[in-house]
Amino acid sequence: MKFRAKIVDGACLNHFTRISNMIAKLAKTCTLRISPDKLNFILCDKLANGGVSMWCELEQENFFNEFQMEGVSAENNEIYLELTSENLSRALKTAQNARALKIKLTNKHFPCLTVSVELLSMSSSSRIVTHDIPIKVIPRKLWKDLQEPVVPDPDVSIYLPVLKTMKSVVEKMKNISNHLVIEANLDGELNLKIETELVCVTTHFKDLGNPPLASESTHEDRNVEHMAEVHIDIRKLLQFLAGQQVNPTKALCNIVNNKMVHFDLLHEDVSLQYFIPALS
Amino acid sequence: MSENELDTTLNLKCKLGMKSILPIFRCLNSLERNIEKCRIFTRSDKCKVVIQFFYRHGIKRTHNICFQESQPLQVIFDKNVCTNTLMIQPRLLADAIVLFTSSQEEVTLAVTPLNFCLKSSNEESMDLSNAVYSEMFVGSDEFDFFQIGMDTEITFCFKELKGILTFSEATHAPISIYFDFPGKPLALSIDDMLVEANFILATLADEQSRASSPQSLCLSQKRKRSDLIEKKAGKNVTGQALECISRKAAPRRLYPKETLTNISALENCGSPAMKRVDGDVSEVSESSVSNTEEVPGSLCLRKFSCMFFGAVSSDQQEHFNHPFDSLARASDSEEDMNNGSFSIF
Repeated sequence: MKFRAKIVDGACLNHFTRISNMIAKLAKTCTLRISPDKLNFILCDKLANGGVSMWCELEQENFFNEFQMEGVSAENNEIYLELTSENLSRALKTAQNARALKIKLTNKHFPCLTVSVELLSMSSSSRIVTHDIPIKVIPRKLWKDLQEPVVPDPDVSIYLPVLKTMKSVVEKMKNISNHLVIEANLDGELNLKIETELVCVTTHFKDLGNPPLASESTHEDRNVEHMAEVHIDIRKLLQFLAGQQVNPTKALCNIVNNKMVHFDLLHEDVSLQYFIPALS
Repeated sequence: MSENELDTTLNLKCKLGMKSILPIFRCLNSLERNIEKCRIFTRSDKCKVVIQFFYRHGIKRTHNICFQESQPLQVIFDKNVCTNTLMIQPRLLADAIVLFTSSQEEVTLAVTPLNFCLKSSNEESMDLSNAVYSEMFVGSDEFDFFQIGMDTEITFCFKELKGILTFSEATHAPISIYFDFPGKPLALSIDDMLVEANFILATLADEQSRASSPQSLCLSQKRKRSDLIEKKAGKNVTGQALECISRKAAPRRLYPKETLTNISALENCGSPAMKRVDGDVSEVSESSVSNTEEVPGSLCLRKFSCMFFGAVSSDQQEHFNHPFDSLARASDSEEDMNNGSFSIF
């Protein structure tokens, strides 16, 4: 198993650092999947994560100007690693004004992802910083649990409002109740509702717009104003929103009535999918 | 020390709580703008240090802080005979420090005549398989002065280094580092126009058993430490209490007898040699020996001793002859305005 990659472009490096920061906010431990043309950050829907799952994908070409990998075997040309997300984001943080960043898989006492940064400095000599991030190699037999989640046919698909606004609303709501209802319809309306014995709070977002439906036929007869809803744990939504430091290029929300909510974001060229299951 | 003894050279060594002093000098901006004069003197009859601020319009603010007398030990450490000397702007070193995660207890400094490398201490990362191991190389040309007589790798307390760098950034003077081999203390020295500060840090001694598993390393450390405790406990304790700073456990007071036997015991640990101060005072020092408690279950113990040297006025001679002029005079006398030479310790 081999992996080495290099980033020299400052913008790419910053973007990669931002992605890594986002992942660190969304998942404490995650799986990094390395394949010949992609990198994925994966969180699978185990009970430990509260049923939440995440799938983040980026095309390696868009970031690395050098990328070599050799998977477990020829037929399975992939590498699955488990790491503590914060370790990677902290290591990348030191690469702010770097001339170059190299990442490679190494084995120093234990398997590591070595992040090596060449920093620009005042003098002629540059500073070299290396971080050895301990990782765990995930064996082949567990790979099946870490595949791209199947996105079920949503009942409603809607564009999200400005995430910062959504986040501040949800943050305040968290103080009142842990149980949040997200509902949306095909008329560009999204509501966030919480309900307790004493009070009921609803925030309405209008004119959001809906993406064109995949299959027109099934929804022809549907009343456009009919709301699809899902009850979720507000903290999971908040964690998701808190991870989005930058407003995404595209943000979509898919609701499967009473089953789950699926967020589909695009940060420039990096796609992030986040699934929050309904409260049972 | 009474206020009447003007002719004798007086030397008061005392301790003041930082928590008492910090709030007094808190708002630097407002102090600089509004205060015309500041007087610091002692009233030994009441065991108090008095700090007075004189504002405009005759307003005077007085703080009385109790002090404790202390007999600090003096460290004998000649930084000038160290084979390795470095001088660097503290800002540059502080940048390197940022890389290390804050949970890092110790950091290792490895030098060769061409290279300077700061890295996570090996011991720790072996225990916690989740810890990131970091290394930073700084080119020798970033240093104002770079003289390495001997390739070496020394390990010392990271927290102390961070604190010292924060302090030194305030002075704008470069920081000088003097060291030799593992076990021998490391000195960090700042020499500004007004302030000279020396910090002596103990370094981890190079154990023979270091090559073997961490477990055995810690056992041998444990053994040594318990020897040390025994030696200290066995003596008749009459000396002053040494303040202890312990990183993992609650602070613990040691009561060493100030004899030479103590020195040898401490030397085994790789801490700087300490000698009873008799007369010759070139630096007022306050020492703190840290000795961690044996935390049950913890594998690695630290036996660091840290010495914190006081900052003294750079004009040594004047200070020596009239060490506490402002303290000795009666408070109603107008002449004792020794401006400038605070003794911060």
